[in-house]
Amino acid sequence: MDYTKQIKEIAGKLFSEEKIDVFIGYRNSGFDENQVPVLIHHYQDVDQLVFTEKSVFNLTNYLKYEHTRNKRVGLVVKGCDSRALNLMLTENQVKRENLYIVGIACEGVVDEAGQKAQNCLECVMPDSVVFDEMLGTPSGKREYQVNADIRELDGKELTERLTYFEEVFENCIRCNACRHSCPLCYCDKCCIDQETSTLYHGANTTSSAFHALMTWSLHLAGRCVDCRNCEKACPSHLPLHLLHKQNEKVVYENFQEHQAGMIEGDRGAFYKYSMSDPDDFIM
Amino acid sequence: MNLTTYSTDSAGLQAFYEAIINAHETYAPVEKFGKYDFKKVDSLAGCDPDSPIPQTMSVKSLFFPKSAKVMKYTATSEGTELSDTTEDPLAGKRVVLGVKHCDARGLQVLDAVYKWDYIDTDYEKRRENTILISPRCDQAVTHCFCTSLDYDVENLDAMDVAVIHVGDGKVYLQARTEKGKNFLKENNKGLSAANGAAKEEMKKQYDKFAGSFRLSMDYKEINEKMQDKFDSPAFEEVSSNCVSCNTCAFVCPTCHCFKISDEKIRDKGVRYKSYDSCNNVYFTLMAGGHNPRPVKYRRWRQRSMHKFVYYKERFGVNLCIGCGKCTISCPVNISIFEVVNKVVNTMQE
Repeated sequence: MDYTKQIKEIAGKLFSEEKIDVFIGYRNSGFDENQVPVLIHHYQDVDQLVFTEKSVFNLTNYLKYEHTRNKRVGLVVKGCDSRALNLMLTENQVKRENLYIVGIACEGVVDEAGQKAQNCLECVMPDSVVFDEMLGTPSGKREYQVNADIRELDGKELTERLTYFEEVFENCIRCNACRHSCPLCYCDKCCIDQETSTLYHGANTTSSAFHALMTWSLHLAGRCVDCRNCEKACPSHLPLHLLHKQNEKVVYENFQEHQAGMIEGDRGAFYKYSMSDPDDFIM
Repeated sequence: MNLTTYSTDSAGLQAFYEAIINAHETYAPVEKFGKYDFKKVDSLAGCDPDSPIPQTMSVKSLFFPKSAKVMKYTATSEGTELSDTTEDPLAGKRVVLGVKHCDARGLQVLDAVYKWDYIDTDYEKRRENTILISPRCDQAVTHCFCTSLDYDVENLDAMDVAVIHVGDGKVYLQARTEKGKNFLKENNKGLSAANGAAKEEMKKQYDKFAGSFRLSMDYKEINEKMQDKFDSPAFEEVSSNCVSCNTCAFVCPTCHCFKISDEKIRDKGVRYKSYDSCNNVYFTLMAGGHNPRPVKYRRWRQRSMHKFVYYKERFGVNLCIGCGKCTISCPVNISIFEVVNKVVNTMQE
C-alpha cells in the first residue's frame, strides 16, 4: 500500500487550483520508519507527503483544532478515519463543503513491530465511506465479529474483571492523551476537566482515572470507530480498546446491528427515537 | 573524590541485586502492559534492572508522584480544621535499581528547583533516603541525545552507584557519591576490588556507547540562539501537528509543574498535588477568564524555551536531559530535538 505519488499529485493540484488552504497528510519522521502528521499550507511543501502502511494516525483529529477551523481543508482518510469523519459531519463539527477528502481503500496499517495492527485484522470497513476521490481498489464491507479479547473477558467472573481493570486504571497517569487523540472528543471544555467539580476532581488517583476513563468510554459508546488513536497514544500502553470494543458489542447486539459512522447522515445509536424500540435493557 | 570500584561477574551482580532486595525496601522497573514502571519489588524475578530504554517510564514518580496527598481537612459551618495526611509512602529508606543515567541526571536537575527559594521537604526527604543504582546503557536508541547535553555522562555523579557491563560477563560497580561508597562497603559480599584494567575497560565501554548515538547537537549554540527566538514564526510551524495532550510533560524526568485539587465528600476532603503540563490549554487560564497562552504555538514556545533558555538562565543547567522519552511517547511523534533545531535554524525577517 503506497499512494505517496498520487497524494502528492492531488495535493499539488488542489493548491495550484487554489481549492484548499491546508492539506493534512503524513510525512516521514526522519528519525526512524514512523510517520508524523503534517499540515501543509503551501504548494512548495507538497513533496514532504507520503502514504504507506506506516500512516497510522487518524488525521480527522486535526479538524477540531484552530488551525483548520473555517478553512478549506484537504485530507487523507482510511476506512476507519472516514467513519469518524462521517460522525463529525453528522454532529455538525465540520462542513462538508469545506473539505476535499482523499479516500483510501485501506489494506491495513502496521504497528511498531511491523505486524498488521489488531484493529485492521478485525476491520469491518477498510474502504473510505466518504470521499471526493478514492485511491486503490475497494474491497467492500466485512462481517462484524466480536473481538477475541472481549470474548476472553466475557468468560471471566465479574470480580476477576474488576481486578483486571483496577490494574489498568492504576497504571493510568491521567495525561489525557487518549482523549486528545480522539477525533470524536471535540468538546471545548470536557466534563473531566472541571477543576472545581467534586465529581471529577483533578487528582491523578486510581479512582479518578476509573471515573474519567469510564465516562470517556461511555461518551464514545455507539460512536467509536475503532481507529485506536487513543491506544497508540497511551504512554502507559493501556489496553483501552477493551472499553470501546465492549461498548461496540453491546450497541451492535441491542441497537439493530448499529455500526458507527457507516452511512453519511446516520444519526447514531443514541440519537434515534423509535416507537418500536423494545426498551428491554439499560446499558 | 576517590571513586571506589568493585568488580564482579553477571552472576555476582544478580546476587548483589538479590541481597539488596532481601535487605532493603527496593524499587525497580516492573513490566505491565509492555511498559516498565518503577514499583516496589520483593524478588529479582519480578523486575528487570536492565529494562529496555524506550519502554521504561521515568523514575520521577518515586520522588514527585503522579498524585500525592498534601493534607486533609474538615469544613463545616463551625469552621475549617486542617490535619496532616498519613505517612508519606515514599519517605522511607530505600534503594532504586535500574535507573537510567539520564533519569538520574533528571533528579539532579530537579534538585535545583525543589531546593531553591522554597524547600520542598517531602521531595528532600525522599531524595535523602534513597540510594540510586544505575546501569550504564550499552546502546543508544533512536531518540537518545544525552551525550550532546551539558553533563558528563561518563562520570555522572547523579546516581550513587554506577553499574558498568564491560562485556564477557564482566561487571564493574563504581561508587559515585559518598552515600554510594558507604552503601557498597556495607553490601560488598561477592564483590572484589577492581584491578588496574578497570579504568581502561570502562572507558572502552563508554566510547562504544557514545559512538552509538545517531543524534548530536551543540547545546551551547542552542542556548545562545534560542534567546532571540521568542517571536520566531517557526514555533507556529513546529507545533501545528501537536494534539495538546500532556504526555510529553507527564513522562518527562524533569517536568515539575503540578496542580492542586480536592477530593471532597460532604464536609471531609483530601487535597492532592498532581502532575500538570504547560501543553494543557487550561494551564495558564486565570480567574476572570484571561488566558495568555490560548494557542498551541505559545505553549510550545514556553515548553522549549523553558527547557533550553529559562532554566539555564536561572539555575545554570539545561532542563532537557536528552532522554527522548517525550518523543517516544508522543502520539504524533513530535521530536523536541527536531523542534529546537528547526527553531534556531529558521531565519527571522
